[in-house]
Amino acid sequence: MIRVLHVALFAFRELVRSKLLYIWFVSVAAMAGLAYFLSQLSFGDEVRIFTDLGLVAMEVTGFLVLFLGLAVTYTTEMDQKAVYLQLCKPLTRGEYLLGRILGLFAVDLLVVGGMGVAVAVLTLSRGELPPLFWESTTLILLEMFLLTALGLALQMIATTMVAVVLYTLGAVLLGHFTGEILWILQTQLSPLAKWGLQAAYYCLPNLEVFNLKDRLYEPGVGMGWAQWQDILLYTFAYSFGAFLVGWINLEKREFR
Amino acid sequence: MSAPFPRRGILKAAPFLLPLLFLLQASLSHRLDRWVHPKPFETVKTSTMDPKVSSAMRALAFLGGQKVLVGHIFWIHVAQYYGDTDNARDRYASMYDFCSLASDLNPRLTGIYTFGAAVLAFHVNRPEEAFRLLAKGIQANPQELGLKNLYAAILFRHSANYERAVPFLEAQIRMGEAPTMLVNILANTYAKVGRTQDAIRVWRTILTTAKTDEQRIIAAKELQELYARTKEGKAPSR
Repeated sequence: MIRVLHVALFAFRELVRSKLLYIWFVSVAAMAGLAYFLSQLSFGDEVRIFTDLGLVAMEVTGFLVLFLGLAVTYTTEMDQKAVYLQLCKPLTRGEYLLGRILGLFAVDLLVVGGMGVAVAVLTLSRGELPPLFWESTTLILLEMFLLTALGLALQMIATTMVAVVLYTLGAVLLGHFTGEILWILQTQLSPLAKWGLQAAYYCLPNLEVFNLKDRLYEPGVGMGWAQWQDILLYTFAYSFGAFLVGWINLEKREFR
Repeated sequence: MSAPFPRRGILKAAPFLLPLLFLLQASLSHRLDRWVHPKPFETVKTSTMDPKVSSAMRALAFLGGQKVLVGHIFWIHVAQYYGDTDNARDRYASMYDFCSLASDLNPRLTGIYTFGAAVLAFHVNRPEEAFRLLAKGIQANPQELGLKNLYAAILFRHSANYERAVPFLEAQIRMGEAPTMLVNILANTYAKVGRTQDAIRVWRTILTTAKTDEQRIIAAKELQELYARTKEGKAPSR
């Protein structure tokens, strides 16, 4: 486990030391500023609109960190062959992949978590936080963990940096579409289309599970222990599955 | 030296582990979907609305999982639509559709229903559309008494039942966060039923608490008229 943590620390340092961190911090400031600007432009309930847009900004910034992180690590690790330096040490490929997942997620945790605290402080200075604010923030972080595992698994499968980013982007977009897939499945469809949609529904990550920010004010929405258990187990199952697929592909990959 | 990673064990078990994990995540995903979507997906009719706005906004909202973001942006768009005097030529024909889509994306933002219904019922005189919008709002927010009160106020106002309209408007305003237009309507209704003193009191409050110069100017003009009217009769008691 210590070796995994060493790789994670190395990946974290590598990303933090790169100039990307400045881009992320600028995007955090821009997103928070945009949320404030839009809340002022809107009509009534400025504090609520600021908090809602702050949560949206957290998720968008998390995606930005993930996509740029995946693109940069693919270039350095795979294209520039930095992966040799790590794999020539007494380290299994599974440990390497798990370390990279934890390292990239740690950067996401730093940026998104920091933004969460900033949005909470700004909201509290003007009003009250909505009841499920921290739960929404935690779910955004869990979503980022799942997507980090999936993105790095795809990095082990794809052969170009563009493909990695496009596959992950596709997973993000379609992952939020699962509710609508269920709705389409209730309509009249050919058996083949139905089968394809069902396969897509069960294979794609169900990101709507983590989208509490869109349902923050719905009456009766609560986050009990049962929901937490299911969500944590779902995150673990999907991330572990993605990690295994990534690991198997990394084992098969020949670095020349 | 740390314990070696159980490479062989996990990789050997992968053909069994992967289907198990797949089944576990699929069943959890299905179970959680019932928590995420307790009600079936609903569509909204967009009869006169610009189809480009409808499709682009909807696609962005549903594909990106950003319904609240798009909902708030669209709500700003609705405010801009109402603020643009060019749209007054067709009596804000798309007002209902815009409010309906904004509420579809963000059904818990009650300001959409109160503002939209107030404009539709009292400004452009299309109470049927106001009722439809409020009915949608009440269905989405059954705990919001303000929406029910506004529904009743519009009903009484359009049946010229001012005696019942006034208490409903007062209740709506007492609840807070009532749109300024509604306060104006209460003041006008007071004046209509001959409660000039109450009308003056409301316009004075607007004059001192209004956020924009425009609202203050309207309040000052209304006060001037009311004072002129009371001078013809008798002076208002202060």
